[in-house]
Amino acid sequence: MAEATLLSVENLSIALPRGADRAHAVEEVSLTVGANEIVCLVGESGSGKSMTAHAILRLLPERVSIASGAVHFKGRDIAAFDEAAMRDLRGGEISMIFQEPMSALNPLARIGDQIAEAIVTHAKPAPARETVDARVIELVTAVGLPEPATIVRSFPFQLSGGQRQRVMIAMAMANNPALLLADEPTTALDVTTQKQILGLIRDLQRERGMGVLLITHDFGVVADMADRVVVMRNGQVVEQGTAEAVLRSPQHDYTRALIAAVPGARPVGARSRDIHDAPILVAENLEKTFVTRQGFFRPPRRVPAVRQVALSLNARETVAVVGESGSGKSTLGRMIMRLIEPDGGVVDFNGTDLLALRGEPLRQTRRRLQIVFQDPYAALDPRQKVGDAIARGPMAYGTSRQEAMAEAKRLLARVGLKDNAADRYPHEFSGGQRQRICIARALALKPQVLVADEAVSALDVSVQATILELLAELREEMNLAMLFITHDLRVAAEIADRIVVMRRGEIVEQGATAEVFANPAHAYTRELLDAVPGRRLFAGPGSLLQATA
Amino acid sequence: MTTSASGAQGHRGIAVALAILGWAAKFIAVVLVIATFAFVLVKAAPGDPAQVMAGQTGAADERMLAQIRQEYGLDKPVIVQLGTHLKRVLTLDLGFSYRQRQPVSTLILERLPATLLLTGTAFLLALFSGILLGTLAGLRAGKWSDTLLTVISLILYAMPVFWLGLMMVLLFSVQLGWLPAFGYQTIGVTMGPFARMLDVASHLVLPAVSLAAIYLAIYTRLMRASVIEVAHQDFIKTARAKGLTQSRIITGHILRNAILPVVTIAGMQASALVGGAVVVETVFAWPGLGRLTYEAVMQRDYPVLLGIFLVMSVLVIVLNLVTDAIYRLIDPRVTTRATN
Repeated sequence: MAEATLLSVENLSIALPRGADRAHAVEEVSLTVGANEIVCLVGESGSGKSMTAHAILRLLPERVSIASGAVHFKGRDIAAFDEAAMRDLRGGEISMIFQEPMSALNPLARIGDQIAEAIVTHAKPAPARETVDARVIELVTAVGLPEPATIVRSFPFQLSGGQRQRVMIAMAMANNPALLLADEPTTALDVTTQKQILGLIRDLQRERGMGVLLITHDFGVVADMADRVVVMRNGQVVEQGTAEAVLRSPQHDYTRALIAAVPGARPVGARSRDIHDAPILVAENLEKTFVTRQGFFRPPRRVPAVRQVALSLNARETVAVVGESGSGKSTLGRMIMRLIEPDGGVVDFNGTDLLALRGEPLRQTRRRLQIVFQDPYAALDPRQKVGDAIARGPMAYGTSRQEAMAEAKRLLARVGLKDNAADRYPHEFSGGQRQRICIARALALKPQVLVADEAVSALDVSVQATILELLAELREEMNLAMLFITHDLRVAAEIADRIVVMRRGEIVEQGATAEVFANPAHAYTRELLDAVPGRRLFAGPGSLLQATA
Repeated sequence: MTTSASGAQGHRGIAVALAILGWAAKFIAVVLVIATFAFVLVKAAPGDPAQVMAGQTGAADERMLAQIRQEYGLDKPVIVQLGTHLKRVLTLDLGFSYRQRQPVSTLILERLPATLLLTGTAFLLALFSGILLGTLAGLRAGKWSDTLLTVISLILYAMPVFWLGLMMVLLFSVQLGWLPAFGYQTIGVTMGPFARMLDVASHLVLPAVSLAAIYLAIYTRLMRASVIEVAHQDFIKTARAKGLTQSRIITGHILRNAILPVVTIAGMQASALVGGAVVVETVFAWPGLGRLTYEAVMQRDYPVLLGIFLVMSVLVIVLNLVTDAIYRLIDPRVTTRATN
């Protein structure tokens, strides 16, 4: 790793606009990235890791600026560059990719044109059209996209999240950058796609001898990718060193906490829960095909989402439904709650046929089945006070307002929020806190079954761990049966008694958690297990930390 | 490769033909429904249309009434009358105005170009200046020039059209004498075609600006909000990270995305503009459909009203189609989502 230093950030401080909750987003941060090296910048949301990366290319939000410090790239102080010189650097010698592949591409422009734009901007004189087109195809092929000729003519909405992230990478590679800044490039993707994208970044890095600054909140990713690690907290660097050193013998408490928070680092099956074989919910032969009409004379398009699925849930039991996006796991969860009407099948809930219920009996049953959604930002009405959001449910079932509000406050305290939370609005809370509010809202109706649809997927690993802990406590207190839908096997391992693996609308494997992890029967399950990041450090979910090296 | 491509092209051709056919069927159905609706409205109006017409011609004796009833088929059952009415509509026969002693279609065709010229000019003026000013304001959000533009657009928005029209006449025609105050062209002067065009254009300025003002204000505000929103989206950051210049980011990425909501609203309002022309045409004595409507209402000229009603409806349908087409041109998600 003794390669030449490519980038060195020295005592960088970033000032926040007046009126922000603190004066500096980043204080006195120093780090280096060598040529042919992957440096992981790790921290929770709000730690300033993303700001640091944006400051390097001066892509900071309005009114946020570098207060002091230097950024040296190949020996030149680029913090002092003017805007034109900076533009040459951006997308030229230094490229950047972002977290949200869904929104990072212009929705109205063809993929090929967007990549070509990156080439043409930096090529002087402007190359011939054919040269550019050929280069675009070459880049699209290099990032492993299928049918390059079709892809370049496509629009972003026609591509999956993983494919879009590949396009972003192709764009970043357009001018053979010396340094790649990757800001949480896989956080929004499911584990199998994450593995592919990380693999692609690593391959490209090796091929080209690039320096990579990879930002992540997940020590699993760090374990797979990093040569060196920089840990940030509250805008300051708390620890840095080689990946081996930081992972094996972390010096700082915060680093230790982050590593411990990685799901799957703890052993599976250590808990034995008291579950009787008394099914509370039994679903059989569930079917759902989504039909999209395509205008007047064309046959409608049919997408089978769930095919002949059977599922049972015992009282107090937690079942995790695991699969990639598009596997039908969310559709299954919603059919069980009758948020989506199944095309066929039976759902037996407490001995009544849930699918036959109509009107008032259905409404009375609905309160027994509650859901927590993935995106805590979209799941709460921004103009409704948190207390109301929770109390409205019970009030709809006849509880008096006073009683409901008292209960809401009790629940808020139970999920770990301060008692003045009830009078505040959702935007005043962080993602993790909002997810706690959503849980309180679901529990206010005293459900028997809680469906958690990717409920921790949008959260930092450290926050994830605390939410999982909360759910584990609550299910004991309230005797909840839980259907835990997730794409992340590590998370499933943390909480589930039983695991159901879904793929393309069908269940391919199910069994007790420890059993599935120890002896995965289906090839797809093994593939999912393989995709879990951090296997270099943790031998995978279910095994103890191999902290012996 | 070539065969499959041409095959796909063939399929596409058929699909387009079918789509046009489907649209034409919808178009005719909507026109018939509107014609029926208009017919029922007139039927539901109090009074005997025959008597109104007779009164208009000034000879209201029984024989005349019977003759009018027979001529209009008013002595037949309502359902037969409706059938006759719809058949006429389909054959583009809009009837005859006794009041003006001319076929309704002649009256409308005479006035239609003036209205299309006025509303079209006002619409394009409002749309283009609105988009331009809105973009400027949006890119300078929070700065003084943005505040100035916002205040101006608010004033334009709050001002009644007739008042704005009158004030402009006072200023530009009466005080400064720069522009003619009313009419479509200077009467009683012979001019070459180019001079004639200039003459009409100078007559057009004041009514078009008055009519455009409120829409200009709406589009400015809409475009401003849209530009601000788009400028904060992730793909703009991607564009910056590519090393694009600010002007290239604006033209290549912000504008096209920001324009979508404006196109949607403008498409809906293009038809409302035709209705809004009534006031302006009256204030400026512009010889268009608006004034014809006004006159027809004052004179209870039902055949003319029915004719205008129908022509306006057709205009609205066509405008909607044009909006759809433009939207599809700008936003690939609309068409491709349906054909994918």
